[in-house]
This record gives sequence, C-alpha cells and structure tokens, in this order.
Amino acid sequence: MSALLSVRDLSVSFPVRPAGLRPWQRARELRAVREVSFELDAGETIGIVGESGSGKSTLARALIGTIPAAGGQALWRGEDLLAMSPAERHRRRRDIQMIFQDPLAALDPRMTASEIVAEPLATHEPALKRTERRALVAQMIERVGLLPDHLDRYPHEFSGGQCQRIAIARALVSRPRLVICDEPVSALDVSVQAQIVNLLYDLRRELDLALIFIAHDLSVVKHISDRIMVFYLGRALEYAPARDLVRAPSHPYTRALIAAAPIPDPAVERGRIRAPLGGEVPSPLVPPSGCAFRTRCAIARQSCAGETPAMQEYAPGHFAACPFGASLDTAPEGPARNEAMQRNPSS
Amino acid sequence: MALLSVRDLRVSFATPDGTVSAVDGVDLDVEPGRALGVVGESGSGKSQTMYAIMGLLAKNGSASGSVRFDGDELLGLGEAALNRFRASRIAMVFQDPMTALNPYMRIEDQMTEVLTLHRGMTRREALAESIRLLEAMEVPDAAARIGMYPHQFSGGMRQRVLIAIALACRPRLLIADEPTTALDVTVQAQIMHLLADMRARFGTAVILVTHDVGVVAGNCDEMAVLYGGRVMERGTVADIFAVPRHPYTAGLLEAVPRLDREDERLPDIPGDPPDPARPQSGCPFAARCGLADVLCAREAPAPVPFPGGRLVACHRPLGAAP
Repeated sequence: MSALLSVRDLSVSFPVRPAGLRPWQRARELRAVREVSFELDAGETIGIVGESGSGKSTLARALIGTIPAAGGQALWRGEDLLAMSPAERHRRRRDIQMIFQDPLAALDPRMTASEIVAEPLATHEPALKRTERRALVAQMIERVGLLPDHLDRYPHEFSGGQCQRIAIARALVSRPRLVICDEPVSALDVSVQAQIVNLLYDLRRELDLALIFIAHDLSVVKHISDRIMVFYLGRALEYAPARDLVRAPSHPYTRALIAAAPIPDPAVERGRIRAPLGGEVPSPLVPPSGCAFRTRCAIARQSCAGETPAMQEYAPGHFAACPFGASLDTAPEGPARNEAMQRNPSS
Repeated sequence: MALLSVRDLRVSFATPDGTVSAVDGVDLDVEPGRALGVVGESGSGKSQTMYAIMGLLAKNGSASGSVRFDGDELLGLGEAALNRFRASRIAMVFQDPMTALNPYMRIEDQMTEVLTLHRGMTRREALAESIRLLEAMEVPDAAARIGMYPHQFSGGMRQRVLIAIALACRPRLLIADEPTTALDVTVQAQIMHLLADMRARFGTAVILVTHDVGVVAGNCDEMAVLYGGRVMERGTVADIFAVPRHPYTAGLLEAVPRLDREDERLPDIPGDPPDPARPQSGCPFAARCGLADVLCAREAPAPVPFPGGRLVACHRPLGAAP
C-alpha cells in the first residue's frame, strides 16, 4: 500500500501548570492527541470533526511540525515527518501546505495579494524568473476566483471570503500534494462558505490534491470528505467513509453529533428528538478512565470505565471505538429518518 | 395585537468617514408567546436592529422610526424610562457569554441584583429564587455553584446563567442574539432545548437572531430574512422554507450544507454581502441576484404582500404573483 501520508499512533502532549500547583510540583501532562492513526491516499480528502478541545487542530499542527509530537509516526511517502530535521521539514513544506480559520489574520497586512501568493515560490523555487513567477501568481489568483486588478490590493481591501481565496492561492501556488485546512470556512457567512467549500472541492479534483479538512461542523465536513474521523478528547472515536458515517453511525458520540446538527427544514426538525446529549466535554487534564465519552454516553456500562475500547471494524472500512456500536439499533437511513433519534413531540 | 411592532426602523452611525447606514427601514412584528427568527449574514443589520429596540446602540449610533412594545413607544425614551422596560418586560441574551457577565462579581450577586432591583425581593428571597432559576436551567449543583465567579463556569454554563438572569423577571419578550454561536454543537442543542422549555413554561415571546437557518427551522414560528439592512422576506417558517419567494432567501436555504443531502457541490451565491460603508441604490441583493435587472439596480423594492401574511421585498419574486 502506498499511502501519501500514513499516521500511526500519533500523540501530542502539553505540559500545563494548573492554578494551585506548587512551584516544586511537576507540571501535569495534557494529552491533546492520543494514539491517532489514519492513512491518506493521493487526491483523497479526510475530514476531521470534533468539538472545541478535541485535539483536531493540535493534530494539524503536529503534522506540519509547528508543535512537537510526543510519540508515533507520520510517514510521508515512507519518510517520517516527525523525525525530520527542521531543514528537511522545511523542504517538505512545499508538498504540505496549510489554510487557517481566520483568513485576515493569516495574511500579512503590509503585503499585496500578489506578494502574498508569490512568497512560497520565492522560498521553494528561487530559480524562477521574475516574469515566470508573476505569471504563475496571476494564473493562481484567477483560478481561485479573484480578478487581475486584485493583484495589487492589500488584505484589508478584501472581504473575508476573498481573503480566504488569497490564502488558498498561496497554499496552492507551489503545487503541494496535501493541504491541511483548519476550520477554513467557519469564520465566513453561509453564502460565502458554500463558495469556498466548492472551490476546494473543484481544486482538489483538478490538481489531484489530498486534503485534511478540519471543522466542527459535520454537515460541512460531510460535503467535501471521502472519509471522516470523529474526534473527542484527543481520541478518534469513529472513522468511516463519509456517507456511511452519517447514514449508519456506530459510535454513540457520532450519533449525538448528528442528532445535534440542525437541519434547515422545519418539517424534518419538528419530528426530530429534542433530547440533546447531556453534560459537557470533561477537562482534558483529567479525562475519564476507559472510554473518553462514557461520562455522557446513554449506553455506557460498568466495563466502559476499564479498558479504553479499541477501534473495531463494523463494516468494510468503517471503524468505531465502541464495543456496543452494533447494539445501537440497525443502520438508520439518515439523520432525518433515524427512528432512534426521533420522539413524538406531543408525547 | 402584536407584542412588539417595529416600523421603518433606521439605524445609522456617525463615523470619521461619514454616516454609515446599518439598518434601512426594517419592519418586524412579534406576537405574544411566539418565536421570531431573524436571519442574516454579517452586516445584514440584524444585531443593530436588536440594539436599537433595546436602546443599546453605541454612542455614535442613532435610530429613527418606531418601536412599539405592548402599545408603548420605546424609541426616544430616556435611560430611566427604558430601564423600566429592560429586564422586567424585554430581556436580552448576547452571543458571547464571557463578556456579558461581570468577571469580578460572583454569579450570586449578578443574579440577585436583578431580582432585588426589579422584583423588590429581599436578598434572601432573591438568593432562593436565583438557585431555583439555575436549577430550572439545569445547572448542576446550583446551590454550591452560585457562589462562584464566571471564569469558573464553562461557556455553556455561562449562557445558562445569562438566560436565567434574562428570565428572572419573567419578561414578556426575550431577545437572544446568536445565543449559541460561540458554543459547541451538542451544547447548542442543550441551550435551544432549554429555551423552548422556558418559552412553553412562561409563555415568553422570543426573537432569535442567528445566521443559522437550521436553528430557525427547529425553533421559530415566524422568520424575517435580513440583507443589507433591509427585510427581504418575512412570514411563517413553514411557508418560507416550503416556498421561498425572495431570490436571496432561496439562495441562502440552498447554500446550507445538510446532513440529510448527498449532493457534493453546494449551490452557492456568487459575490459577497454588501459593505454597509459603501451604500448602493436599489435592492441590496441586486449585485448577486441572477434575476436582477435595471429596475432592481435603480429602485429598492417595497414589501409586497403574499398569502399567509408573507411580505416579500422583491421586484421579481419567485413563483406565482400574489
């Protein structure tokens, strides 16, 4: 198997000193990402979905090397990204680019759009002639849906959606193989969000680009991903082809996420459950023993507090870290028709 | 009779670069006990409309038009007169539950203040009532946690406290401005569930301001779609979702990614929302509208009535003519 990226048991920890810790006491370990594994093929999109504090952004940062990993491997065409020297990793960054949530903050306010997009070329292809570079930049700017007269404007002259287009142009101009998108549309208005999702969708086909698409909104992630991984308290709880995950979720947490996502259709909404998942995400400093989700899980049993459940394959390519996933009633057709999530509102 | 009736509301701000119009002739109605969803993207004027209703505009802002609450005109009232309406008759919950609470005051003091001031309770009565309110908002261990400070609460718990404070004086209208936008989706579901519960229990009317049409679909009776400081379309939620008449409403409903749909490319709306600092003539949506013609660019359409109490501000409404 020749995956583009093969992540094996990746873990990331931070030392933290909670209030009240005495100076001589050792810092505690916050395990932000715990033994996450997945494979990504060329041209494939994997969506990573989770609530705040689930570790999804930390995973991205560990993969591009801005924070160190505590363990595991991330093999890029066989070479371990995590074991690379900074110089090697820097060269590799031509292949792996990143797009961030806040497009305005991600762009240097003193550089014009064309300077911003040209910067990766200056770094990764210094041999390019000025005119060649200029042509590549103009081409990329146009491809992401901006106009030639936008080239010499500054970030503050653009809308949020246009800034995100510039960030996408910058990420793609060096022809990377993988782009990690960390909440790329969550700061944008709905109508503009759809434009950016579509742009990424088209570009990835055109350029045979692999994407890691990180977002808290399962509906957005589902639209662009081939496979989805659901994160909770630093762990992957479910990993499946996008449609299977939404149609037949096998982890109780995934079910809860689907049930909580509003559907813009009053006829569908009125018939859905109004029994939301209780409680809140526990502190990652003191995670529950065993299954991370057990403190909020409706079907948790005594045994869930013991061993951390391992990923089980419920259907081909469909993994869930819950031994009782099969006892969740048989595959629902979709969130709208999912009997288990419905309740007669008048009862 | 409508509990709240807003007519031709205009809000503008004096800035160093000239006057910026944020709200440009908005009409809204809220019936007693009903929930109105106000939907719009950033810059649509949805929040400034609410601030104008509550008399909370920034110092450089001014409002004209009419805001009638239960027959009384609110616009132009002095601070003292407005304070009699705020909290006791109209209350508001904001998007960011951290900045809306005073970080230096215990939850206990922030809650009892409202009750002693507006409901004339003694401190002891107010404390007991505050604990009851927190319990009603499903704050676990309310009696112990009421003595804590805001930073000791999670975002979801803080929003529960704010809703408890807002409902403390049994207001007839609760304005919730993006109350769940800063929260995780499972917590959002909890808060919306609680709001629905409170509405049923106290008969409070609600204005839910949001960018999320999914939240409106599940929680509101009527809705108003704002764009560029104007109401594009308003009517019942069931009618508008079934047959959107304004091209912007139709585009907005289509652009939302849905879990129950399999299509991969999303039907997007080209272009960007208008910049309030650059006023245009005509319909604010004309520049992005596939149906727009010269008339749309020249003249802002007046609301046209459609069956079922629907109003559509469009020269080229979708579907049959009224």
